[in-house]
Amino acid sequence: MSTDVKKSWLASRLPCPAKETGNCAPTLERGAPYLARLPALITGAALLLLASGFVLAVYYNPDHGFASIQFIARNVNSGWLIQGFHATGATMLFAAVYLLLFRDIYRRAYTAPGELVWLLRVKLFALLLLVGWLGYALSDGAVAYWSLTDAANAATGLGGAAGVVGRWFFGGPNGAGTLARLEVFHAVLALAVLGTLGAHRCATRALARQAKPKHPVSCHPYYTAQTFAAFAVFALIFAVLMFFAPHYGLNPLNRAAADSLIIPAVLSPPWYLAPVSAVASVFSTTLGSIFGVIAMLAVLAALPWLDRSSPAGKRGLVYRLLMGLLLLDVIGLGWSVSDPACTISGSLTVFFTIWYFFHFLVLTPLVTALEAK
Amino acid sequence: MRRLFAPLLAAGLLFSAAAHAEDTLTPLHWQSQGSFGSFDKAAVQRGFLVYQSACASCHSASALHYRDLEALGFSPEQAAGIAASVKLANGAPATLDDTFKPAAVPASAFGGALPPDLSTIESARPHGLDYVYNLLTGYTAAPASVTLLPGRFYNTGYPGQQIAMPQPLKGNDVVYADGTAATLPQEASDVSAFLAWSADPNLDERHEIGVRAVLFLLFLSIIAIATKRKIWRETA
Repeated sequence: MSTDVKKSWLASRLPCPAKETGNCAPTLERGAPYLARLPALITGAALLLLASGFVLAVYYNPDHGFASIQFIARNVNSGWLIQGFHATGATMLFAAVYLLLFRDIYRRAYTAPGELVWLLRVKLFALLLLVGWLGYALSDGAVAYWSLTDAANAATGLGGAAGVVGRWFFGGPNGAGTLARLEVFHAVLALAVLGTLGAHRCATRALARQAKPKHPVSCHPYYTAQTFAAFAVFALIFAVLMFFAPHYGLNPLNRAAADSLIIPAVLSPPWYLAPVSAVASVFSTTLGSIFGVIAMLAVLAALPWLDRSSPAGKRGLVYRLLMGLLLLDVIGLGWSVSDPACTISGSLTVFFTIWYFFHFLVLTPLVTALEAK
Repeated sequence: MRRLFAPLLAAGLLFSAAAHAEDTLTPLHWQSQGSFGSFDKAAVQRGFLVYQSACASCHSASALHYRDLEALGFSPEQAAGIAASVKLANGAPATLDDTFKPAAVPASAFGGALPPDLSTIESARPHGLDYVYNLLTGYTAAPASVTLLPGRFYNTGYPGQQIAMPQPLKGNDVVYADGTAATLPQEASDVSAFLAWSADPNLDERHEIGVRAVLFLLFLSIIAIATKRKIWRETA
């Protein structure tokens, strides 16, 4: 046999994953903060969503979406627990992704050689928004129903290639069969999220191999201990939310069955979709809204090239101040669509949207170029 | 018709031996409120009696089955007895596996305002417990400045104040087996408690598991963080 005896049985036959096994080599920097474990937490939350989503999919009936979720929560053994894992899992996953993106922007982690990791994270965020909205539509509550009806009517009414894609996706205006299609897309795109997480893992490992740590430590026990602690705290927050505030950040009106003759008074989406929903609501046409959302994600993706400072450049005071404003801006965007009772919330949404694009397209290049000098 | 079954239901109340219910009306509160709340089963059973006597003839609660009543402390035989006393649309008695559905009443009978399904009414309304209580106790004479639409009633607890439902509870609509005085606020409070259970029947179990899970994870987190700190200190 010519097989290299030093290689394991598997590595000699399946070389690709075997490359990964060398990763507990001492190449990791000592003293990394807990927040550096966010990608692991995101992967964990995604796997939990996949497992609980699988159980839900077994019982979900797209012809009676709302009633079947009630059935799961009331009549399936521990169904309420599984449904809670899925609902709170979505909240925790989005919270971790928002935190990861903001931390990356703050630390300017997107600069070379981190561009690909950053692009994959933006892609992950975009996919999650779509999967999250599809899941929200599948809840078939009174509010989600109108979100889906609006989207399906707008998409099928589009002309040209966009209309072809829209009609293919929704299969026509919201009606019998729409939820069955969306259930398939929800599941398939969830697998695409896992694929993106896999690519992201490879890219971060490649990045870690390039880095030359000053105080190298091995993965085990240093990083395994840290990851375990991070998971424990994540699970603690998860449990508090799930058992004691299961509907936090969600519109209570969505907990009634959908009615095609009644439009709820407040049509706000779940908190994790709110900032994007706000940007979409600024534009008066369907194509405008689609453009707005794509532009919102595109400026994020373009960040490595909008930043004009050198990769090793320091974060200046003005830049850090702008980061605080950006955080308030995104929170404001989400808040402005959740509180329609506020009479100026419409104007605030426009203002926050303009600031968002102003931040990335004007302030970021300007301030980073000035501070790099 | 349903009023005839009220004595039968009342006889089934498990907590009949208990003394008068504790006063939850001044100040108004429910045991299920708050992070560690749990259902007061006596109140929920009384609420079910009111629901079955006053609400169920028009409103459905399609997420509930008669078998679910066992979770309120009724024995399977008692739940079966309650179900058997309800007539389905086809005239046959209901079984444990039937949902809470009123006998078929034409929509025209309600003057165009179809009674909503009550299964999740309290989770679908902000402050659902208070909402139902205020609505049931909110019927008053319309102020002189208000002109009521035809077939509407003035109700301070209803958005817009003009509701199509005639006053369902007036006090002493039922006789409580545990001796609680069936005043209007008591009945409204009890039926509100029942609809809270209907909207979120897993609340007790959720809070019970939640306390254990959070305590466990709290200690796990402390140990995990302490372990990590010890391991990382050794690299110095």
